[in-house]
Amino acid sequence: MKCKKCGGKAVINMRQHNMGLCKDDFIQWLQEQTQRHIEKQKMFTLAEKVLVAVSGGKDSLALWDILVTLGYQADGLYIALGIDEGIGYSAESQRLTEAFANARDLKLHIVNLAGEYGTDVPTLAKQTKRGRDKPCSACGLVKRHEMNRIARDFGYDVLATGHNLDDEAATLFSNTLQWNGDYLLRQAPVLEERNGLARKVKPLFRFYEREMAAYALLRGIEYIYDECPFAEGSTSTYYKELLNQLENQSPGAKQHFYTKFLAAKKKGLFAESTVEIIPELHLCPKCGQLTSARAECSFCKMMERVQKK
Amino acid sequence: MKSTATLILRGKKYDVKAGSTLLSALNKLEILPESVICVRNGDLITEDTLIEAGETIKLVSVISGG
Ligand code: SF4
Ligand SMILES: [Zn+2]
Ligand SMILES: [Zn+2]
Repeated sequence: MKCKKCGGKAVINMRQHNMGLCKDDFIQWLQEQTQRHIEKQKMFTLAEKVLVAVSGGKDSLALWDILVTLGYQADGLYIALGIDEGIGYSAESQRLTEAFANARDLKLHIVNLAGEYGTDVPTLAKQTKRGRDKPCSACGLVKRHEMNRIARDFGYDVLATGHNLDDEAATLFSNTLQWNGDYLLRQAPVLEERNGLARKVKPLFRFYEREMAAYALLRGIEYIYDECPFAEGSTSTYYKELLNQLENQSPGAKQHFYTKFLAAKKKGLFAESTVEIIPELHLCPKCGQLTSARAECSFCKMMERVQKK
Repeated sequence: MKSTATLILRGKKYDVKAGSTLLSALNKLEILPESVICVRNGDLITEDTLIEAGETIKLVSVISGG
């Protein structure tokens, strides 16, 4: 297969765009497209400070690489969750993230749950009702809380995550199966800042997972290949596989499912109901972050419960 | 002369016929092309590539979670 731009040998075929590209043209195309999406969606400007949530996986490291290449002021945040499960998952992903940052002389914040709160995700999951079957609920809560905290404490304007189109389409699929109106309303590539919570953006929201893996490989980025041991057999992985089967039969289906949702939303298909569905927010007396609870936020409550034990 | 080649996915080896395209080999093995990237000697190759006898092609799974 030939590169659509230069006629050289293609390294990737993107069937949904009917386009094959060579290594150099693919890297350039992906970077330019990212910049276009950032500008079109008004995610951030060159003057703003961006905090990239990095996990050691291909998407977040690739995102950091792209933003720095494009000249944005992007620092990293790694949260050490203490997930081991016999394969040293967190330790290895931290090592790869640090190696990435050091090799490029980038600034990386590291939050260590053990050092900061004396606990880790598996313990939180076991000791609170949030993790009966899987620790992902406790883990998600920790990640959200700590990302907001670091962004606020260090004065970042924007928080960027490496979610790709497959992640977003799987989430959309799940929310649609349940007609989860609240979540559908809030699912977007940009969430504006709200009472001191940094703006949240997903600059990779239009790229397929496969394109991000190809980018990471072509740029020689060393990322953690194993998935989190708790992700195995998760519904989101299953939904991704289902969507890929659909994609295989009809190239572009995955992309249309998601982008047409965004377009429909813009037209008002999911207009907010006249009844106020966004709860009134208060400041948590302990950490100062916004919460819908009248007392401490769910993160502080969870930590308290664990520290008492 | 050997008329097969080897595909490796997550440590598992698959014997495939040389001379056919990667796409047809993936289809036979019921591996969705959308879920892997094919790497030959460190280079990414597209699915229309013909498989050569005796070679080894690494399949990198693209789905990650977490
Ligand atoms: S899969 Fe792993 S990293 Fe992802 S939310 Fe669950 S526990 Fe956390
Ligand atoms: Zn080219
Ligand atoms: Zn709190």
